[in-house]
Amino acid sequence: MSKISRRKFLAGSVAGGAAVMMTPAKKALAAGSFEGFPDGMGVLVDFTRCVGCRTCEAACNKEQNLPAPAKPFDDYSVFDEIHHGQPRRPTSKAYTVVNRYETKEEGPVFRKIQCNHCNEPACLTSCFVNAYTKTPEGAVIYNSKVCVGCRNCMIACPFHIPGYTYESVINPVIKKCIFCYDTRLKEGRPPACVESCPQQVMTFGKRAELMNIAHERMRKNPEKYVDHIYGEKEVGGTGWFYISGVPFEELGFDTHLPKEPIINNVKDFLAVVPMVLAIWPALFTGFHLLATKGKSHGHGDDHSHGEEGH
Amino acid sequence: MKKLATYGIKPHDAEVKADGQKWSLMEKLLLGLTLDQYLDQLKRNKFNWLLALIFAIGIPVIIYRFIFGLGVVTHASYDYPWGLFLGFGLFCMVPLSASGFMLGTTVEIFGRHDFEPIERLALLNGLLGYFFAVVYLLVDLGQPWRLIYPMFVSWGPAAVLFLVGWHVATYLSVQVMEVSTAFFEWIGFPRGYEFIRKGTVGLTVSGIILSTLHQGALGALFTYAPGKVHPLWYSSSFQWIHYFTSSIPAGLCMVISVSTIVILTMKWRCDDRFINNLDRITLSLAKGAAMGLITYLFIKLLAVAHDNEWAYIATGWGAWWLFEMLAGVLLPMFLLAVGIHNKNVLLCRIGAFVTVFGILLNRLNTALITFNWQLYQEIPHMWEIVISITIFAIYVATYRFILNRLPILYQYKAQAVEEGVAVEAEQKAAVNA
Amino acid sequence: MVRAGRQLITGLGVLLLSAVLAVGCFAMDDFPDEVEIDSLANLYDGVVFDHAMHVDMTENCADCHHHTTGTGVVDEYCAKCHDGAEDGDTVACQDCHSANPVSPENFHSTPEAYSYHDDKPNLKAAYHLNCVGCHQDVGGPTGCEDCHAKTDAGEKYYHSGEYAPKQDPHQAAHH
Repeated sequence: MSKISRRKFLAGSVAGGAAVMMTPAKKALAAGSFEGFPDGMGVLVDFTRCVGCRTCEAACNKEQNLPAPAKPFDDYSVFDEIHHGQPRRPTSKAYTVVNRYETKEEGPVFRKIQCNHCNEPACLTSCFVNAYTKTPEGAVIYNSKVCVGCRNCMIACPFHIPGYTYESVINPVIKKCIFCYDTRLKEGRPPACVESCPQQVMTFGKRAELMNIAHERMRKNPEKYVDHIYGEKEVGGTGWFYISGVPFEELGFDTHLPKEPIINNVKDFLAVVPMVLAIWPALFTGFHLLATKGKSHGHGDDHSHGEEGH
Repeated sequence: MKKLATYGIKPHDAEVKADGQKWSLMEKLLLGLTLDQYLDQLKRNKFNWLLALIFAIGIPVIIYRFIFGLGVVTHASYDYPWGLFLGFGLFCMVPLSASGFMLGTTVEIFGRHDFEPIERLALLNGLLGYFFAVVYLLVDLGQPWRLIYPMFVSWGPAAVLFLVGWHVATYLSVQVMEVSTAFFEWIGFPRGYEFIRKGTVGLTVSGIILSTLHQGALGALFTYAPGKVHPLWYSSSFQWIHYFTSSIPAGLCMVISVSTIVILTMKWRCDDRFINNLDRITLSLAKGAAMGLITYLFIKLLAVAHDNEWAYIATGWGAWWLFEMLAGVLLPMFLLAVGIHNKNVLLCRIGAFVTVFGILLNRLNTALITFNWQLYQEIPHMWEIVISITIFAIYVATYRFILNRLPILYQYKAQAVEEGVAVEAEQKAAVNA
Repeated sequence: MVRAGRQLITGLGVLLLSAVLAVGCFAMDDFPDEVEIDSLANLYDGVVFDHAMHVDMTENCADCHHHTTGTGVVDEYCAKCHDGAEDGDTVACQDCHSANPVSPENFHSTPEAYSYHDDKPNLKAAYHLNCVGCHQDVGGPTGCEDCHAKTDAGEKYYHSGEYAPKQDPHQAAHH
């Protein structure tokens, strides 16, 4: 017959509660209103200029020491490749790909795909070991040393960017465009793809400045561009953003993405966490005291079952 | 095992045998049989042959996965980074294991000791479900040996998965402690039992907190993918409530389902208290489950209304959603309601199985089937299915192994007694405890 | 890529310098018939640009040279200032288009006053946008190797030709 004293009882709750309180949930609420580093670099991508030469793919392959491609970079049959009804996407072996889309207005239009280096990246906010970093220079980089391989970032990325080296046994890691951070961006130089482009489809510079240029291009040539800068607002703004002569849906862009960062969708839940942590212990121990008032708290006592009714 | 009596053996249910001798650990493990007798009855059971077959195929495949990497047993998909291991192993096993905290709350917090006969089964169901969810996770993680990184190496506290990781880890320890009372009794370590019992309320309350949060957090994980999960299965405001609410009928119905299987296949292990109370408890649990299902249905509809997604119901995905709602929520609700009204335990049990099916359907729909609804659907790799089945078989085998031994379905006594003096023995057991 | 990129830029710089020396001193009707652009020989061989043929084909130097040759500008946007049609100090592309792809002057050529000249393409792009853009309109050649043949370094860079992946049978889909 073990009747718990009040003190022991409280100690029990505190011990149980302490395990819960260890979880730092507060910091979660701090995220969400981040607009990007003021001097963060970005890239303005103008699809009206792209001719689909795939030189950027070759440049990326060389700069990032990626494995040899399955087909030469001047083989344009890749534009006809369809996997699961989808055109090519970035993989662990190719951080950027150029696809061709048949459009009503302009015929074939080419689109380069790579990490968009979001202002508030979903991959970063979804990572439970903080493997991702948005650098002040504007790159979203990844630390493979701490990655556990849960692949939540791949779930979270609204642009289907991160690739994973599933084939590796000992050290599978995420592989994605890192804005050539280590080799170039850190020194203020543009990524290899940007530099290689013969058409300057991509313009490298401070994101804020590029945004003005994008608006200016559209103002000067309103008939040439659709009136939308993809990435100006999408998921809270992206470091790489796009202007185009055809509607973005026709280039395979998801135009239904929310304007606010992905993490905002999670906030409803994150807001609940501290409340549960704060209220539940008192609430349920209170219930316990009320429900068992005047009765024994012990277990293994000889209860006559069923008499309490229901 | 029914043939235990044919060996002239009474199942181990007390510290001391009727003849005054203590049970040895070996006897406890072999259920009082000799090794030959034990192996004999293992071979006689057809279900063991099925398990053996699954293990013979599946365990080499699991080894294969760890030697050659995830790429050889999955599609190594970039678009479906989470396959069956998480879609089934994590997202289904965890809600079905919510039983632990619910029965814990009912008995320990609300003092409803009339549920006590099934409390330990519910706690064990919770512990094993979580444990094997972690096993599935270990198979799925790229670098499982880094599982402790979010605890000790690098923190990403803004991530929902961080919450899930911490909570599942903490809750798993809470559950180990909760179930350890049964183990301490069985192994004969009353002081351990006493120690844990003193912290019961604290453990239970932290169990509620952790469960509320991580059941919800599993749903919140999908709020990271607003464009990928189909709108009918997605709700940024309600996703966590959906997951938390549905875990209530899920956990309760899992207990009803398991207790049904137990009473049909291993009645020898159940004591009179369990057998005599089971029908009454099943009806009570069914009541709770039905209430949970009604609440769940209501919030599901609320979410559709809140995001104004009615138009989607007219699509093909909408038909699939309606099927899930009808077959997975309304049908079991109806079965349970009629069963409760007519005190028809069988109907309640069928309703419970259907509820479990409904939860499986919902979780698989969110994580796999309607995921990437705008891209393409993917059928999991054959080895992925085999591994998932194998781990589940290990789960079942472990479950049965423990039920056969630890005082889950029966109350542990100080001394085994002849028939007829059981009441006296029970009182002695209480004193001993 | 780092080295290749730098070589490319250096190459372009040298090329332009020579082109300027060659072209800069000519008067309106005194242009070169042919400009050999061969210092680019890195990923691609040089281009022999048939200037005379292009002069014949176009009606207006301004089609390529904006307002710098003194002929009337085509773009009405430019005409706001440059309708006077006076000769520029230079007609060389590189005097305005920087060989450096990230030169700040690409964005702001002259602080404040010349906001119209912001957002200038870099030199490589100025060439390609001008040539390819027009070629697309008039049906001229647009493939990379229609104008310049790929070098060995180029084939290595593109994993094509001799360096093509072995397992792929149809690697000859060059333009």
